[in-house]
Amino acid sequence: MVSDETLRTHLQELRRGTVVVASLIALRRPDYGYALLQRLTGHGFPVDANTLYPLLRRLEEQGLLTSEWNTEESRPRKFYRTSDEGESVLQRLLDDLADVQTSLTGLIEGVER
Amino acid sequence: MSSLTDRYLAATLRAVPAARREEIATELRGSIEDMIDGRRAEGRDPATAEREVLTELGNPAQLAARYADRRLQLIGPTYYLAWERLMKLLLSFVPATVGIVVGVLEATDGENPGGAIGEGIATGLQTAIHIAFWVTLVFAVLERTNTSLNLPAWTVDQLPEDHVNRQITLVDAAAAIGWLVLVIAYLPLQHFRSFVPTDDGGNLPLLDPALWSFWLPFLMAVLAVNVGLEVAKYRAGRWTWPLVAANIVVDLAFAVPVVWLMWTDRLLNPAFVNRWEWLGREENLNTIATIVIAGTVLVVLWDIADSAIKAYRNRH
Repeated sequence: MVSDETLRTHLQELRRGTVVVASLIALRRPDYGYALLQRLTGHGFPVDANTLYPLLRRLEEQGLLTSEWNTEESRPRKFYRTSDEGESVLQRLLDDLADVQTSLTGLIEGVER
Repeated sequence: MSSLTDRYLAATLRAVPAARREEIATELRGSIEDMIDGRRAEGRDPATAEREVLTELGNPAQLAARYADRRLQLIGPTYYLAWERLMKLLLSFVPATVGIVVGVLEATDGENPGGAIGEGIATGLQTAIHIAFWVTLVFAVLERTNTSLNLPAWTVDQLPEDHVNRQITLVDAAAAIGWLVLVIAYLPLQHFRSFVPTDDGGNLPLLDPALWSFWLPFLMAVLAVNVGLEVAKYRAGRWTWPLVAANIVVDLAFAVPVVWLMWTDRLLNPAFVNRWEWLGREENLNTIATIVIAGTVLVVLWDIADSAIKAYRNRH
């Protein structure tokens, strides 16, 4: 029987890249850190806060996200939005994800490519 | 604003590059407050909510490292193998060489031959620690600065000839040859520069200069043959019976003259022996001779037995 620890590691590996994809999709609608965390969790992408917050900054530095401070509410919040560049990267990632799914289906059904 | 959050922010921001500190501070503070609000909406009291949120965010140093994209490892996979290889190579012979050289210098220079062994061992250990520290430091800096070492990429041609059964590794062979070269160099060196002055300020050789007529050149030649044998051993990669036989011949060619010369009191320079009262006494000189002879015999027997056992294992 596979240990929980092993299983957890594999699931983590599998999920790792999807956080970026999910964030880029979700941030087509601008949002701030905590609200994005809630949305992602609500859509079945549970992500640790200490992973997501630094990730958002990194994606911003890479030019995949743009940001804007909103100071109208009770506390200042930084709203992130997927940039044009982020959108094109997202399309590549989604295509690749679809390819992976197709390949997996093919493998499962035993069909030669 | 509660103090736990303040302390958490301070601890996190300390390790974040200064240029981005303020912006990260404002954003992270907002995020923490949002998370606390979220927990309070679920019915927690403020203090518990704050504790839970900060616990969830985890060690500030780790969070800061994620913000700064900093590596939480001393030496990562890029450099680890190069580090390990260099470390093994250097530690295989440098500390022992330095220790022996210092010990020998101390023994010939000082009045206390017994203390020289301790001095040699201590210096060897210090050298090992220095090597380990500085090599690791250099690689840790490379890791952090992302410097490319331009190491040649691994190719299949680097595969050892018989990697499964290689008994004699490159490190072993390099260490053995290093030793031999050192001893070969020491024999003439001690004649011209033994670090023991004569009474009139000249140089007092450790070994009897009369031996230069034949025995010392002979021993140097035997050691040179031994270097050749080490190379042959490495190329073969394992002990074979011809190598064992050659090894026995070379071992005996060195050990028998040394033992015989020591036994007949012809190895050490008489002037050197008489330089010290302690060594000059008959019983002390005999003790030293016995130790040298016993040591030589033991090393030779061990070396021969070791080679024979390994060769035997290869056959069976």
